[in-house]
Amino acid sequence: MITGEQKPLAEIKAKVKGYKKILVLGCGTCVKTCFAGGEDEVATLASALRLSFKKDGQTIKVEEQTIERQCEDEFIKEAAAKIAGVEAVVSLACGAGVQMVASRFPGVPLLPGVNTTFIGILEKPGLFTEKCLGCGNCIVDVFGGICPISRCAKKLFNGPCGGSSNGKCEVNAETECAWQLIVDKAISSGQLEKLAEYVPPKDWSASNAGGPRKLVREDHVI
Amino acid sequence: MVVQTMDRPKVAEKIECNVVKPQITVFHCINALSNAALLDYDNCDIESVKLPCSSMSRELVFLKAFESGADAVVVLVCPENSCRYLQGSLRTAKRVNRVKKLLDEIGLDGRRINLYNIHNGDVRAAEKIIENTLTDLAFLGPNPAA
Amino acid sequence: MNGSHLQQILDRGQFAVTAEVGPPRGSNVEAVRLKAAKIKGYVDAVNVTDNQTAIVRMSSIAGCAHLVQMGLEPVMQMVTRDRNRIALQSDIMGAYSLGIRNMVCLSGDHQSFGNQPGALNVFDIDSMHLINTVKTMRDSGKDMSGFELNEAPKMFIGAAENPFADPFEYRVIRLAKKVSAGADFIQTQCVYDMKRFKDWIIQARDRGLTEKVHILAGVTPLKSARMAKYMATKVSGITIPEAIIKRMEGVTKEQAAAEGIKICLETIQELRQLKGVHGIHIMAIEWEEKVPEIVQSAGLYPRPSLK
Repeated sequence: MITGEQKPLAEIKAKVKGYKKILVLGCGTCVKTCFAGGEDEVATLASALRLSFKKDGQTIKVEEQTIERQCEDEFIKEAAAKIAGVEAVVSLACGAGVQMVASRFPGVPLLPGVNTTFIGILEKPGLFTEKCLGCGNCIVDVFGGICPISRCAKKLFNGPCGGSSNGKCEVNAETECAWQLIVDKAISSGQLEKLAEYVPPKDWSASNAGGPRKLVREDHVI
Repeated sequence: MVVQTMDRPKVAEKIECNVVKPQITVFHCINALSNAALLDYDNCDIESVKLPCSSMSRELVFLKAFESGADAVVVLVCPENSCRYLQGSLRTAKRVNRVKKLLDEIGLDGRRINLYNIHNGDVRAAEKIIENTLTDLAFLGPNPAA
Repeated sequence: MNGSHLQQILDRGQFAVTAEVGPPRGSNVEAVRLKAAKIKGYVDAVNVTDNQTAIVRMSSIAGCAHLVQMGLEPVMQMVTRDRNRIALQSDIMGAYSLGIRNMVCLSGDHQSFGNQPGALNVFDIDSMHLINTVKTMRDSGKDMSGFELNEAPKMFIGAAENPFADPFEYRVIRLAKKVSAGADFIQTQCVYDMKRFKDWIIQARDRGLTEKVHILAGVTPLKSARMAKYMATKVSGITIPEAIIKRMEGVTKEQAAAEGIKICLETIQELRQLKGVHGIHIMAIEWEEKVPEIVQSAGLYPRPSLK
């Protein structure tokens, strides 16, 4: 899923200062699963904002709504009524959702309340880790199912580097060295010699480096 | 909120000039304290929320308590490792810690909410906790967002 | 200057000595001259680092060009952290045109170590790709797109290997990979753990690698016990045995430098006995003045001339 973290309260408060009536708009898909922007988080943020402004002797009316997803019109239109009645919207969706809502409601300021971070997995309750950078051409099989682009800090195709130590990355002692994992996997599946094969450079043109991308499915375009 | 008028000399005697009766919301697991009505105080208002397990609480409900005018929130849970639902009280403790940080960010002071482990039915311990909370409130003052 | 002086020495079977200097954090050419003057005549070639530890310095290519002017033989270090394949190939051609004949291909320390950790890294290609690219440019006269170059850069190609990093079982396989990709010489991370280094060199010999590539073992003289402990704990990829740390702790502060040099000379002695070690790479960063003493005391002075 896409993961993100809610922005600090102080940052959100600074963004909404000056508005008398706002809407905190949540999203029930990715950001809900990483506890950044689902209904609970919307309600908590709304309450925190009210308390914070009241403490300053100011009032702010905070509306709350959570739709299934902010990246599809089918759900966005359900928020139209509430959006029409406020001066600004704080969206807790990922960057994609924020932008889509902003484009559908150009007349109202759209403020992001979440910092979108990565495409990842839930390793165990409470721990999400990055797994994919969307390079556009997946070859994880070459590396035993471990992607060096997203999980090696230097994107090495022929790693490891000289900074790998005790299975950890030189950048952060808590981060696993992806190449240690790749080598371990190769050893356990009796394929260590396969790692002696040169893996050629990546063609990055299929990634975001080649420009913003799109996907068109003609069979779905009516 | 009940405003209690006091004679001038008594007011002058108080360390903090706190003329308003403090409001404390007590969230309690029924296995830790079966009934908050057992706590009886003249000098503060106690709102209580009964829970089958303290982990039925969420961060939001603690904040709502403050939105409703609570000056302090007390969360009573079973002793460590004694939660009949195993990890319930542990989860509650983590949520209370989050709310403490959030209250600091809001500017209300995280010390207004605290979690306590008490043995089943230990009313005396609960009363002591209320007394300590009132002492804290004399220092913290009333909820500025109430 | 035509060919690589370093290559000629190694190809003739002579024990080579290289050193390393870091360029200044500014445009001061005099700083380069001063460092070079300290070691001129005592080494066969000198590496110029490329924004080492991701701290912004005068570029390696510029530092090397200044050394060429001064009559020294530079080894340009090139990391893939900051430049994409277009810039790297471009700089290789430019470097050769400036008289630079040797280069070492590295991935580079991550930018989070440096003084501008918010910078975006590149890593378009890795060090293995870079080795292969230079080899192709040199031997086929073509760039990565297959375009025929207007004069091929005939570089003597180096790479780094760290016998002390993990995973140990894979290090020699990776060395083999670098040799296949085109590495002519290898400079290793500094040696303190002689046992582990010997294990590594024996494995390299068994795979026939010591006959295909020139291995120069890295050495770094310790200045103090504090430096020893810092390197042992804070610098990833460096292993220092307890015995050596104890030796450094066992002398007074005034005697520490001398003890460090002594340990360095003992290390060089042992390295010279190892079959497959074709030279040493002295990394006395910010202590370049000790290089002449080390080279002389190790019995490696004067350096062979090619006249």
